[in-house]
Amino acid sequence: MAKFPSVVWFDAVRKVFNGDESYQGAGGGQCNCVAGMKVGNKIFILTFEGLECIDARDGKDKDLEEVDFYLDMPIADWRAMLKNIAENNRATRDCTLNTLDLDREDGLSTSRHGDQYREDLFFRYNQTFQFFFDASARVKTSY
Amino acid sequence: MVKTAAKTDSKTKSKKTTARDTVASAAEVPKPGYHWMNRSNQWDTRVKPGKHGLRLGDLNVGIYGEIPEQWQDQTRNPRGAIPRKGVPPLGYSIRDKADVWADSAADLYEEAIQRKWAPATDVPWGTVKPLSEPLERAICQVLTELCQYANCDVETISQWQHQMSYGYHEVKQYLATASFDAARMHEAFRKRALCNGGGLGLEGPGEVNRMILESRGGWSEAVTYLMLMRGTFTMTLLRYLEKFAYNDAEQSIYANALQAKARQMTYALEHLQYSIAHDEERKAIMATLLFIGDRIWEREMADHVLREALCIVFAGGLEKAPDQGYAIYQKMQRDFMRDYVGTCEWLGIKRDPAMLPEAMADYLEAS
Repeated sequence: MAKFPSVVWFDAVRKVFNGDESYQGAGGGQCNCVAGMKVGNKIFILTFEGLECIDARDGKDKDLEEVDFYLDMPIADWRAMLKNIAENNRATRDCTLNTLDLDREDGLSTSRHGDQYREDLFFRYNQTFQFFFDASARVKTSY
Repeated sequence: MVKTAAKTDSKTKSKKTTARDTVASAAEVPKPGYHWMNRSNQWDTRVKPGKHGLRLGDLNVGIYGEIPEQWQDQTRNPRGAIPRKGVPPLGYSIRDKADVWADSAADLYEEAIQRKWAPATDVPWGTVKPLSEPLERAICQVLTELCQYANCDVETISQWQHQMSYGYHEVKQYLATASFDAARMHEAFRKRALCNGGGLGLEGPGEVNRMILESRGGWSEAVTYLMLMRGTFTMTLLRYLEKFAYNDAEQSIYANALQAKARQMTYALEHLQYSIAHDEERKAIMATLLFIGDRIWEREMADHVLREALCIVFAGGLEKAPDQGYAIYQKMQRDFMRDYVGTCEWLGIKRDPAMLPEAMADYLEAS
């Protein structure tokens, strides 16, 4: 059982994601970027390289200035998304990263540098990030 | 013995005997000189694969990485190779780096090659189930117009590709994948339209397609219309269609198409930024192009067919299409205008709301 949010939880998801080759085809594949996850006040930094998510670590607020983009939601919304994934083995259309980004006033994905080229990595690799969070369906999660 | 046979049939089989003669006169084969073996502008090049493999961009070492501001060669001489004398010119019209270049082109090429998907087998077609007829008709209508968009991508890119100098091969290679991406989108959209008891609907107005296809001012102008304007709208549309997908197959199609369009947007933004950085006047030119394009855009958006079809898709049927569906349609248009104008401003092209067509200005103001 891994508690969300924590590095332990992200590591557990990484293990599932990195070990499942089906996530590397059908729109997934090589992905090179550093993405921040802002879960309420907690910050995590994920590094994607090649076909894997190679690192997850705790971050600080100023780390968000360096990442290519970061996903920002209150913790309750993160939980709702993850519960939806756990119940359905993947995100249903109301809870995909794309939908959450469309539905939120300020979007889900954002950056502090304002560099649109880097911000657009969220869309270029969108399936990979979705696969990553869908992999959490196979991680026993506590909150 | 061979000579005897050749003699017997010399009148009737003169062509067939040629090969035999060649064998017979093997001793007369020209002695190879191998003079070409010493011809290379840079030999002993040893590019090593990095942690992501041997990528196209990795090859830009030494003279092979020298990418001039203007490409003088008018043949298909590969960058870094020794030109052969006497090769007739091909008449490339795009020879300035500022007219095509984006630093990310090589990486985008690799990304497109690597992040592939096959609609025939990667889309879970079995999840497509019968829908109400109005909803199926609406989905098919939207897909009909999306097929036209994809076809416009293919034709536009193709008609400019052969005019681009061979020296900027990274861009040509990336655009080949962009063309292929569009072909794949066309395939997937058409398959979805024809797999669930429906069929293609009414052809779209095509005014914007014509504007894009007939832009003659250069590749950057085509990029402005095809990628900045239409591309931003298509991305927005695909995002909404993914959100309102009615099965996993549709979700997969729209999500994969979205990634390809995002690559295209990355190329477009980098190219236009590069182009502007090399010629400040291009901002004013682009502003003029967009002023013209906006009016054609508004006219096409006034067409009720796509609007009504999208309202039905967003509302899940006819009943709520006029209110709930239309509200979502308006939000989609607001999102498009926000992103479109935001991107223009990121490029340094100021868009005065007072100069926008009324409907576009209204959506922008409400965004």
